[in-house]
Amino acid sequence: MPDALATVRPAVPNYGIDADRVGGRDSVVAAAKRRWEGRYAVDEFGGDPHLQDFLFAPVVGRIPVHLEGAEHLPREGGALLVANRGPMFTEPFVLSGAVQRAVGRRLRLVGLPNPPLLGVFAHKLGGVGRRAGDAAAVLRAGHLAAAPLAMQISSTSAGEAPRPVIAATLGFPLLPVAVRPGGPGGVPLRPWAVTVGAPLLPPDDTEPGDPLAAAELAEQVRAEIAAMLHGARGE
Amino acid sequence: MRVLVTGMGGHLGTRVAQLLEARDDVEAVAGFDFVPPRRRLSRSLFKRIDPRDRDRLVEFVRGFAPTAVAHFGVYEPGARMGVRASVEASDDCTVNALGAAVRAGALDRVVVRSGLEVYGRGGHRHEVPDEHAPLGPTTPYGRICLDVEAHAAGLARRHGVPVAALRFAPISGSRAPSPLGRLLRLPAVPVPALADPPFQLLHTDDAARAMVAALVRQADGAFNVVGPGAASPWQAARLGNRVPVPFVGPGWLVATRVAELAGSPVPPHVLELIRKGCVADGGRAESELGLTDLVPTQEVVADLYAWASVTALPGSPTVAAPLRGAG
Repeated sequence: MPDALATVRPAVPNYGIDADRVGGRDSVVAAAKRRWEGRYAVDEFGGDPHLQDFLFAPVVGRIPVHLEGAEHLPREGGALLVANRGPMFTEPFVLSGAVQRAVGRRLRLVGLPNPPLLGVFAHKLGGVGRRAGDAAAVLRAGHLAAAPLAMQISSTSAGEAPRPVIAATLGFPLLPVAVRPGGPGGVPLRPWAVTVGAPLLPPDDTEPGDPLAAAELAEQVRAEIAAMLHGARGE
Repeated sequence: MRVLVTGMGGHLGTRVAQLLEARDDVEAVAGFDFVPPRRRLSRSLFKRIDPRDRDRLVEFVRGFAPTAVAHFGVYEPGARMGVRASVEASDDCTVNALGAAVRAGALDRVVVRSGLEVYGRGGHRHEVPDEHAPLGPTTPYGRICLDVEAHAAGLARRHGVPVAALRFAPISGSRAPSPLGRLLRLPAVPVPALADPPFQLLHTDDAARAMVAALVRQADGAFNVVGPGAASPWQAARLGNRVPVPFVGPGWLVATRVAELAGSPVPPHVLELIRKGCVADGGRAESELGLTDLVPTQEVVADLYAWASVTALPGSPTVAAPLRGAG
C-alpha cells in the first residue's frame, strides 16, 4: 500500500509555538499581549496551540494518570489512538494528559461535540470534526489523534470501533488504548490507569480505504482494548 | 510546448507568462485578456480580446495552435467585476478558449484555475476537504469554479486530453488585487462574534508556480493548493493592527454595506470565508507537483499588511518644477 507517512508536511512558522508539541506557558500579561498583537497562529483544523498551552495543557496535565506502554507512543508523525469511552466523555481528556506527559505532544480529539460557540472552543482546544476525512487530514498533517470507541454505560467495556475513521487512516499506526478509572467500581479516586498497546497495521498489500481491511482492523483494535480492560479487571 | 495563457492581463496570468518565458522547453507563449498584462513580457504574444467576443477569440486561439492551455480566464467576483459579469465572462472564456484550442488539433494538456470554494462550507461538508471530498459550492464563485472544472472534465473525456484543476486557496499578495485583501486592510475588519474559523491563503507567486508545475508535469485531476498553516479573522485583523468589529446574524448586512462604502465590496465567497472559514488538505499538490516550499498562510497575511503600511513620500521639487512649467 502507498506510504501514507510520505505525505507528512513540515511544520510551519507559528510565532515560536510548536503546533505539535506542548510548549511553555506565557504569563497572563504576556499571553494577553500576544493575543492583542495577533502573534499566534491557528491551524487548518481550527486548533489554537497558544490557547491550548495556556488553558488546556495545565488542566489535563494535572489529571493523575498511571501510564503503561508509553514506549508505543510515537515521538513524531501521525498516528491514531483508539480508546474506550464511558458515559461522561472524560477518557479523551485523561488520555490527552497522559500523552502530554509521556511524549510532550498534543492530542487531537476526533468527534468532539460541535454545538454553536462551544464547538468553536472545542476546535481551538484541539477538537476535530466527526468526519473520517477530517481525521485522516489531521494524521497527514503529522498530528496524533484519538478516536473513541462507541460509548458504553460502563467505562470499563469496549464498544464498536470507529470503522470509517480507521478506513480513512489506513497506513498510519493504529494504537489500541485502554483507559480505566483507578478506584473500585469505576470511581476515579486513585490515578487513572492508561494502557497503550502495540501499533496495529493492515497487511502490506492493503489498498487505502479498503473496507474489508478496515473492518478487520476495527475488530482487532476492539478486541485488543477489551483484552486490556478485562486483563486489568482480573488483576 | 506552445502555451496559451487565458486571462494573461491579470496579475497571475502575467506572472505565469513570465515564468514560462524563462523555460527552455517552452517554444512559444500567447495569451489574451480584456486588460493588458501587468508586467513587461519579453517573448509572449498578447492580444487584447474580450473573452465574450467569440469570433476574435476563436480566430486567435486557432491561429496559435497551442499544445497546452493555462486557463486563468476564471474571474473572481469582486476582484475586477461584479458577480453576474464574472459568471458570464468565465463561462464564455472557458467554452470558447478551450473549444478553439481543441479544434486547433495540437492540444495535449490543460490546467484550469479553480478554488477551494467548490467544496462549499457548513452543513455536512468536510471541514478540511481533500480532493476526494464531495463538491457542493455555496457561493457564486464556487459555482463558477465548478462549471469551469465540469467544462474541462468534459473536454478531457471527449478528447483524451489530461486536465488538471488547481483548487487555489484565496490568492493574496502585496500587489495582487483581491476582495479579501481589501477587506482585511480596512481600518476596522468585520469578524464573526461567535466564531473564529480558520482560513488559508495562497501567495500569488506560489499560484503561478503551481500552474507552471502542473503544465510541465502534465498533471491530471484535481489538486488543492494552499499555503501551509492557517489564520483566523480575529487573529489576522490584530496582526495587521486593525480593529476587529464583531457581527452576528443580520448585522452582516450592515457590515457588508459599510465595507462597500469604504471601498471594499464583499462578494459572497469572501463573506463566507470570514464567517465559516476556508481550508483544505493540500498534501496531493505537495507530493505530486513538488510544491513543498509554499509560503505559509501567516506570512501571506503579514505580506498583505506590510504592503499596506508603505507610506507615500512627498514628491521631489526638482522633478515637480519642470512639470508645472510645462503645464
